[in-house]
Amino acid sequence: MLIRAVAISISLAVLAGCAAPTRYIDPAADDGPVAMTMDYRDFEKAATEAVEDMLASGAVNNPDGGRSIMVVSRITNDTMQRIDTDQLTKKIRVSLLRSGKVVTTTAVGLNGAEDEMTKKARELRESDEFDQSGVQKKGTLQAPDLSLSGKILQRNHKVGKEQQVEYYVQLSLTDLASGLAIWEGETPIIKRGSDKSVTW
Amino acid sequence: MKTLLFASLLVLGLAGCATPPETSSSLVDRQELKVDPDIIYAADVTELFQKRVEQPGGGSLLQVQFAVEARSDADMAWKVTWFDANGMVVQGVGEGYRKATLLTGQTRYFTATAPHERVASFQLHLREPR
Repeated sequence: MLIRAVAISISLAVLAGCAAPTRYIDPAADDGPVAMTMDYRDFEKAATEAVEDMLASGAVNNPDGGRSIMVVSRITNDTMQRIDTDQLTKKIRVSLLRSGKVVTTTAVGLNGAEDEMTKKARELRESDEFDQSGVQKKGTLQAPDLSLSGKILQRNHKVGKEQQVEYYVQLSLTDLASGLAIWEGETPIIKRGSDKSVTW
Repeated sequence: MKTLLFASLLVLGLAGCATPPETSSSLVDRQELKVDPDIIYAADVTELFQKRVEQPGGGSLLQVQFAVEARSDADMAWKVTWFDANGMVVQGVGEGYRKATLLTGQTRYFTATAPHERVASFQLHLREPR
């Protein structure tokens, strides 16, 4: 019994010694292997291309001066993976905000406000417990001018003994006044690798 | 005790000899194009243009375009770092290098647009991905 316990302990110690050590990855200097699934580098590539193209096209410029107000509409995940599309939209929102040209509203959304506190804070108008001079007045919310929508598609193919996975990040920016898509972009992300890789 | 004192003096002496970093407000003479020796064997940067793209309603954004001609099939990675008029870094969308594949004899053109109107200069870095 003792011999077996010692043998198991030694085996575990040896295996632990062989395991790759956990380490931090610097996104600014990551030459690590590529995954067949969509990873952070793919979202960064799609967001970079979209933002640079939006800025260069002038589509996000407010013709009346000041910043445009954008709302994030539906971004459909049509892949075999469980993707939180905020991974893409947040990068775009942050970059557009930093550009000084666009601000995103969190008071409106397809499934209700992203930040429900905007509405909750206005319910304080009825309360005698709050100093009403600090409560938000009526008619102060800003309606959006632009809407960002899109889709992430995935297509799998067998190429010889390998597998090819194609992802397409498609985005549209709609002018809510006219309903016209004033900017559209598509970033293809194509990966080829082992047929044994799982892409979901 | 003597050893400790000697070591401290030595460290102070060496620190005094070190090249001081650029701290003045005058602009550092920064290279616009940096190409790693590993990639020079496989590809050449044949063009590097910059222009300011006028924006509707005023203002302009710096845009950079460069061309790379490949002597042999190669993978490369590139990144543009943006700076304002004071030489401070202006953060872009992503931090990582963008990857590209070049075929022998192929000339590829790449474009990057500054993330903000206050961008005044840039540095383009080309390297070979590991």
